[in-house]
Amino acid sequence: MSDDNRKKQDMTLSQHDMKPGSVPPNASISRKLREFYDAVQEEGIPDRFLDLLEKLENAERNAQSQSQSVKVK
Amino acid sequence: MTEDDDRGFKRDLLASLPNLRAFAVSLTGRHDKADDLVQDTIMKAWANQTSFTAGTNMRAWLFTILRNEFYSQMRKRGREVQDTDGVFSERFSVHPEQYGRLDLQDFRKALDTLPDDQREAIILVGAAGFAYEEAATICGCAVGTIKSRVSRARTRLQELLGVSGEGDFGPDAGHAAITARAFGS
Repeated sequence: MSDDNRKKQDMTLSQHDMKPGSVPPNASISRKLREFYDAVQEEGIPDRFLDLLEKLENAERNAQSQSQSVKVK
Repeated sequence: MTEDDDRGFKRDLLASLPNLRAFAVSLTGRHDKADDLVQDTIMKAWANQTSFTAGTNMRAWLFTILRNEFYSQMRKRGREVQDTDGVFSERFSVHPEQYGRLDLQDFRKALDTLPDDQREAIILVGAAGFAYEEAATICGCAVGTIKSRVSRARTRLQELLGVSGEGDFGPDAGHAAITARAFGS
C-alpha cells in the first residue's frame, strides 16, 4: 500500500472515530492489521518463487524457439 | 506479446508478490500453505498471461486468481483446523489494562476466528491497500456487501481484543492521545 493511501485511510478514520482524548477503536484495529500484514510483506520474496519464475521463463523461451525452428523448416 | 511485454509481466508480478503472499498468509493462517497457494497462483497467472490486459491493475488480477484458487482448493479438501498452536480458545481474551501489550500473535488469532468473507474483506481494504470497489471486484460481490463485511469484522475484532469501549484505552486519556499522535492517526 502506498503511503498516500495510508494517510487517506488514517484521515478517514480520524474524521469518523476520533474523539478528544481517546484512541479511536478502529484505528487501533487498523494499525494492528497493517502491522501483521506488513510483517509478512517485509519477509520479501522466497527463493522458490524466483526459481519458479525463471523456470517458467526458460520453458517459454524454449517453446518459442522450437516453434520458430519448425516454421523455418 | 512482445518480449518487452513479457519482461514487464514478470517485473510486475514480482513487484506484487510480497503483498500477494501476505494476503495468502491471511487467508490460510499458515506460511507453508500460503506459499503453496502463491506457487499455484504464479503458475496460473503465467499460463493465463495473455488474458491479462497490460496497463490494467495486475495486483487486483493476481489477488482474484489467488482467491479463486484458495476457495476451489478449500471446496476440494475441506477446511483444515487452523489452530496449530492448540491453546487458542480460552487464552487470548485481553484485559483492558494489558491493552498496550496486545501482541501480534493475539491479533492474528483473533483474525483467524473471523468468518472467511469478513476476514478477506478487512484484509483487502484495511491492509492490502484496495479500494472498496476493487475489493468488491476481487471477491465478486457488491460494494455494499464489502462495506458491511469490513464493518462487521472491525466490530468483531474490537470485541475479541477488548478495545470496544473508550474506557478501555491505556492508562489515561492524555497518554492515549499521545499514542494516537505518535502513530500518526
